[in-house]
Amino acid sequence: MGVRNMKRCNRMMVSTLGVAMGLALSAGAAAAQDCTTKIGAVLPTSVDWGRPIAETAQFVVDQVNEAGGVAGCNVEMVLRDSQVDPKIGVDAAKALVDLDGVQVLLGAVSSGVSMPILTSVTVPGNVLQMSCCSSSTAFTKLAEEGKTKGLFFRTFATTGVQAAVGAKVAKDQGYKSVAILYKNDDWGQDLQNLIAKDFEALGITVTSATAINDGQPSYRAEVTSALSGNPDALYLGLYPNEGTAAVREWLSLGGTQHMIMANSLKSNEFRDNVGLQYLGKTFGTDTASPRVASADSFVAAYEAKFGGAPNGPGLANSYDATMIALLAMEAAGKDATGDQIAAQVARVTDPAGTPVTADAAGFAAARDVLAGGGNVMYQGATGNVRFDANGDVSAPAVVWKFSEESVEEVEYMSLTDVDDFIASLK
Amino acid sequence: MIGLVSYLVFFATVASILAIAVLGLNLQWGNTGLFNGGVVAFFGAGAYGTLILGGVPQDGQLGGFGLFYPLALLGGMATAGLLAWGVGILTLRLRHDYLAISTFGIAVAFENLMRNAQWLGGGAQGLRGFERPLRAVLGDGFLYNILFLLCVLVLMVLTYRFLETLVASPFGRQLRAIREDETAARSLGKIPARIRLTAFVTGSVILGLAGGLYGTFYAFVSPQDILPTLTFQIWAMLIVGGAGNNKGAVLGAFLIWGAWTASGWALSRFAPIEAQLYTGSIQYILIGLVIVGMLLWRPQGLLPERLVVSQSGRTKT
Repeated sequence: MGVRNMKRCNRMMVSTLGVAMGLALSAGAAAAQDCTTKIGAVLPTSVDWGRPIAETAQFVVDQVNEAGGVAGCNVEMVLRDSQVDPKIGVDAAKALVDLDGVQVLLGAVSSGVSMPILTSVTVPGNVLQMSCCSSSTAFTKLAEEGKTKGLFFRTFATTGVQAAVGAKVAKDQGYKSVAILYKNDDWGQDLQNLIAKDFEALGITVTSATAINDGQPSYRAEVTSALSGNPDALYLGLYPNEGTAAVREWLSLGGTQHMIMANSLKSNEFRDNVGLQYLGKTFGTDTASPRVASADSFVAAYEAKFGGAPNGPGLANSYDATMIALLAMEAAGKDATGDQIAAQVARVTDPAGTPVTADAAGFAAARDVLAGGGNVMYQGATGNVRFDANGDVSAPAVVWKFSEESVEEVEYMSLTDVDDFIASLK
Repeated sequence: MIGLVSYLVFFATVASILAIAVLGLNLQWGNTGLFNGGVVAFFGAGAYGTLILGGVPQDGQLGGFGLFYPLALLGGMATAGLLAWGVGILTLRLRHDYLAISTFGIAVAFENLMRNAQWLGGGAQGLRGFERPLRAVLGDGFLYNILFLLCVLVLMVLTYRFLETLVASPFGRQLRAIREDETAARSLGKIPARIRLTAFVTGSVILGLAGGLYGTFYAFVSPQDILPTLTFQIWAMLIVGGAGNNKGAVLGAFLIWGAWTASGWALSRFAPIEAQLYTGSIQYILIGLVIVGMLLWRPQGLLPERLVVSQSGRTKT
């Protein structure tokens, strides 16, 4: 036996040992899967409210792995920070698609980041993109033009629901004219455009629509121009900081206490800073409060995991985005490409399918149904998610008002009620 | 393997586009000493100009002229140049930090204009619906990206050659003379105001070219693309690369953009799961450290300006 043979023999022994050790290690892991499927996530983790969205997505991945992974493989979520910068987000998405070979991309949050990712990475690369939180109507238009190739979905109800319900409140209260104050970003501009149309459809006059920029020391000029039309009521599409300042000025200048506000002002801080005594005639609207057990079980599971209620923006949406993407991957089978996975989304959100819950057990149940060729109705944290042809979701809605404790519900509109009402406006 | 190449092509395209922008800033700051704090305004003017001129019509918006692409790109550059001309006439009498503050203000005003004027640039939603040139023929896969990279590289080299020639010319000497001592330059019969304006507009046209290519590459631009962060990034590239040196400007762009993306990638791959959520913050710290370190230990940049004595009046030491 020559030296060379000895060496080869040694090498073989070492490699055998390595394999044996590897087997032993993987056998020790909780879910004994011998392969890993990667999914990508581009989320703004460097922003305070972005981090919980990413944590929620990772939480779903953990649950699915606990249930045995997707198509027989463990799921690994590669998370990249978008820094809310389109260049950085697009680069991260491109790296995930090209270097990690992901077929599913979760993200982004800002529409201004999701959009270039969609046009320059996921659509050309044939990758499924599932956004939890991008609200811009530009995605709907892009989908209508056929430019998303059916690869884009989002679990954030379009601003249309919020706007329609706000208009309904005005009608129910018998307001004849309304002034609008809106946040000057893509969400606020969308909301303003939509609700102005809805008011018009209901025969309510919009006396003025005024943009509110962030971080101004005073909003007197804006408020004065809203007051000048002498409206019956004020509609607020604002966030708490500038909302507090604007409403204080509005009230101190003698504006009406009849106000309608979007869910962004559903905050105890806003209530306390303005004063509950001035908010008695104020109604708010919100979308994400479905009356299904799955939404409650999400809240319970989230509290058990993170030790607090899921109160930040987009958490329930992030949960559903991730779970639906993974269910679709399961339905599409091993090594499926982005378009094959996208085609399966309808199968896992089928209103006529077998209901499954939003947790590890639900995922395991869904796997059996899908393996048997059946369809699944995913009952998620935001309710029974159902995408339309453009990848948009509708949602149930509530009308609420401020109370001593926090907020109390005035009216609940189921998904059907909402859809019917929106249809009646058209 | 093909994935790696595909990514590198993508990376090189963005880096080259940014390098063109850094070259434009280098003419203004490195050669002429004009502290342009509003880089994004001219970058954005180029991007919006190109997409408005070359895009397809959108409801209720200006634009959708569907011009032949090179014309649209030239139009974008002209938009940036016109903006710079107007801004220059108003502000170039200011010096140093005052010029920086006023141009910074202009960039913020430009971003707000684009955020609010929905009829002009789609408002906060941004401008979409642009068809990338030749996409119908080439598809939008790997082949397209390669050819696009080649075009960007050619434009970058042309810009580089142009600036090298410009800086070596008598005009380039005037720029440096004004940068070093304006009074002395005036005493020699030069007209600083006109020369400063020429340099400012030329640099801004180059920034507009970079913006136009950027908008073309993403087929989309929104106010989020023209936040002050971009000004900061382009300045960081010039400082690290070496102000006054065109090679340094290109090197700085590739290095900083490379560090920015590679650190994100490396952290997402190698950092422990618990730290994953903090990679964004860690990345900010790393990049900040690089820039601070650079300013402390090598303020002239990696490739410092080479001082050229074109007509030596004394014996060389």
